[in-house]
Amino acid sequence: MASRFSGALQLTDLDDFITPSQECIKPVKIEKTKSKTGAKIKIGEDGYFDLSTGQEQKLQKVEITLADCLACSGCITSAESVLVTRQSQEELLKVFSERKYSDTQGVTRDVTLIVISLSAQPTLSLAARYKLDPEEATRKLVGYFKSLGADLVLDMTVAEDLSLLEAQQEFLQRYQNHQHDPSTKQLPMLASSCPGWVCYAEKTHGNFILPYISSTKSPQQIMGSLVKRYLANKRELNPSEVYHVTFMPCYDKKLEASREDFYSEVLSCHDVDCVITAIELEQMLENSGRSLSENEDSNLDWPWDDSEGPGLKSHIGSGSGGYADHVFLYAAEHLFGETNAPLVYKNLRNPDFREVTLEKDGVEVLRFAIANGFRNIQNLVQKLKRGKSPYHYVEVMACPSGCLNGGAQVRPVRGESGRELVAQLQALYGRLPRARPAGSRLAKLLYADWLHGRDSDKSRALLHTAYHALERNDIALNIKW
Amino acid sequence: MAKLEMLQTLTGHKGIVWNASWHPLGKIFASCGEDKIIKLWNKEGEKWVMKTVLVDGHQRTIREVAWSPCGNFLASASFDGTTAIWDKKSGQFECNATLEGHENEVKSVAWSPSGQLLATCGRDKSVWVWEVAGDDEYVCEAVLNAHNQDVKKVAWHPSSDILASASYDNTVKLYKEDQLDSDWTCMATLHSHESTVWGLAFDKTGKRLATCSDDKTVKIWQEYNPDNQEGVIVTDRDAIWKCVCTLSGYHTRCIYDITWCHTSGLIATASGDDIIRVFKEADNSDPNAPEFDLICTKLNAHSQDVNCVQWNPSGNQELISCSDDGEIKIWKLIED
Repeated sequence: MASRFSGALQLTDLDDFITPSQECIKPVKIEKTKSKTGAKIKIGEDGYFDLSTGQEQKLQKVEITLADCLACSGCITSAESVLVTRQSQEELLKVFSERKYSDTQGVTRDVTLIVISLSAQPTLSLAARYKLDPEEATRKLVGYFKSLGADLVLDMTVAEDLSLLEAQQEFLQRYQNHQHDPSTKQLPMLASSCPGWVCYAEKTHGNFILPYISSTKSPQQIMGSLVKRYLANKRELNPSEVYHVTFMPCYDKKLEASREDFYSEVLSCHDVDCVITAIELEQMLENSGRSLSENEDSNLDWPWDDSEGPGLKSHIGSGSGGYADHVFLYAAEHLFGETNAPLVYKNLRNPDFREVTLEKDGVEVLRFAIANGFRNIQNLVQKLKRGKSPYHYVEVMACPSGCLNGGAQVRPVRGESGRELVAQLQALYGRLPRARPAGSRLAKLLYADWLHGRDSDKSRALLHTAYHALERNDIALNIKW
Repeated sequence: MAKLEMLQTLTGHKGIVWNASWHPLGKIFASCGEDKIIKLWNKEGEKWVMKTVLVDGHQRTIREVAWSPCGNFLASASFDGTTAIWDKKSGQFECNATLEGHENEVKSVAWSPSGQLLATCGRDKSVWVWEVAGDDEYVCEAVLNAHNQDVKKVAWHPSSDILASASYDNTVKLYKEDQLDSDWTCMATLHSHESTVWGLAFDKTGKRLATCSDDKTVKIWQEYNPDNQEGVIVTDRDAIWKCVCTLSGYHTRCIYDITWCHTSGLIATASGDDIIRVFKEADNSDPNAPEFDLICTKLNAHSQDVNCVQWNPSGNQELISCSDDGEIKIWKLIED
């Protein structure tokens, strides 16, 4: 395997420290003073030393940060092991015990408020793992986080609601723009809440596909803005003193949280500091020697001014948040006057590619799809490339079966098939109380109190984001025959 | 002993010839290489002549070509990341579909026995299964990320939709479709090679698989079903594959390709030591611990690495080979 690092690094095998991927092509800048004959490097017990200046100078390890990985086109998933350091259970436990964290700039910051935001999918995953009903699992989970030192444990229903409301609005706008000028890449609108999909689109298909991707932020990132901007402000805290952890069904959410788009120079912090997943939580519980059910009961917190009250909720439609269903129903009503449009999905080549249509006077006016899993993403992208996509909207998720089957959900136990487990989680999700984004009083309050109304500059700034194509740079040395 | 008699040397490619592939009837073959060109060769009288050149299908090296079982389609896998499908519906060969999706170099392509499925693999460590979905329409059925390194070769079982892949991670993996959700899963990982596995070939029953590697060995793997008579313990519902024979001490360099004749049962190998070797299962060989004898060693078969060998599917004992030296050779095995 050929190394792509500079000769000096290869010489000493310094690049051994690079763990992310043997294919990692991130160039490393070496600060060098003029040298006559090249560097002399000594390998000591505790590091590598440059001897060329006459005295031993300790060489720094090469560190590839998560941001490097995200900004690089070398590989898609190798960022994983970098995440181990910044967003690991160990890091989380350290923050709990020390009430300090070091930010991406390496500055150590004190933590005055630790907020945990729970999404439904991993909570259900744990409920199934420990054979608890979802409400009980939620209370135990809150109890566990509180025992570790969390100050607030919140559900994310309002962030999910806001994400759906914004997506509905965005679709209407795109549909209208498309009517005026079909050449502007407004449709199909592609869902943006799956970071695996977004990252793949940015790295592989760039500017061809990005204009189609919804600018609406995912629930995780909306929750991030809400906690770091609204909640911190209400509590008169500096946002960087608030450590915000989300509980998620997949590792890719860690990549999303680390995006520079979600880092504020002004607030000097990320909207989400750490993402912890179901499988990691199972590990944490195992390490603590306690089963989930052995934790104290505690209720979700409700720091908001509305009296609605907390609770994990589901949204109609897929277990990935119900994007296709919500946008479809809204568009049917607002574009075609169809209230209660029938949502009858038809499976295409496999159950992970389904579509639903709306007919008006015998003519098809809307065609939506849900495409889960990488193979269906491929087929969707190829359809788009060939100008053969018949869709107005596609809910795209990188995992087969969507977020309930997220890559970091607890694995099936011995003898249980993955399919059975997903079916069980789908049943549990369906039994959660239903959220109705359009009727959410808290969402309404936030639009009025925080976002200066719907469609305001502030809601556009805080509830939407942008995507960036990454230049591909293939180096000849990468080629293996 | 036996000997390989050279029938003809074919030149014309510029640079390395990576692969040559027989048409299912054995009267045409296709070749490809570094020059980004596919050449089609026909037999005229006793001689092979180049009849057609396919150009402009790929931007970079073409690593492998494969004919569909019906013989009407030719697939080509290229380092440009695409796989092209050629046919002559219009009267002459044209590229009418391109399979895109691999992140970078595609290393191998193979059609399933029904001709309804295609498999590709490459440097991005993935194996893809594509389904023929209609005229010039191919859809992705699966993206399999089971290997953790470059995947060198894919090959289908001769009669059922079981796929095998060989990788730089030293393993071979087998896959099949799960009917319930029409998704593909890896059902077996074959560990034993100590370096890159470059090639694989099933025997005509599909019960055995031969693999060749950079570790200079050939291994023969045998399938044992859960209810096998031999008493091999199978814990899962899927069959297990056991290495029942290792051929070592013959090749002095990496073995790049292997082919198993479905008529004669002979195995031929292509090696970096410029030699083509032919192996034959010994008479009275124990089915559960078979022995293979080296029956032919063709020294200096080519002047450089031999990249590919393939038996003529018609069973006429003809063997095709191609090499880094830019040449394609047609051989005939003469058994005493």
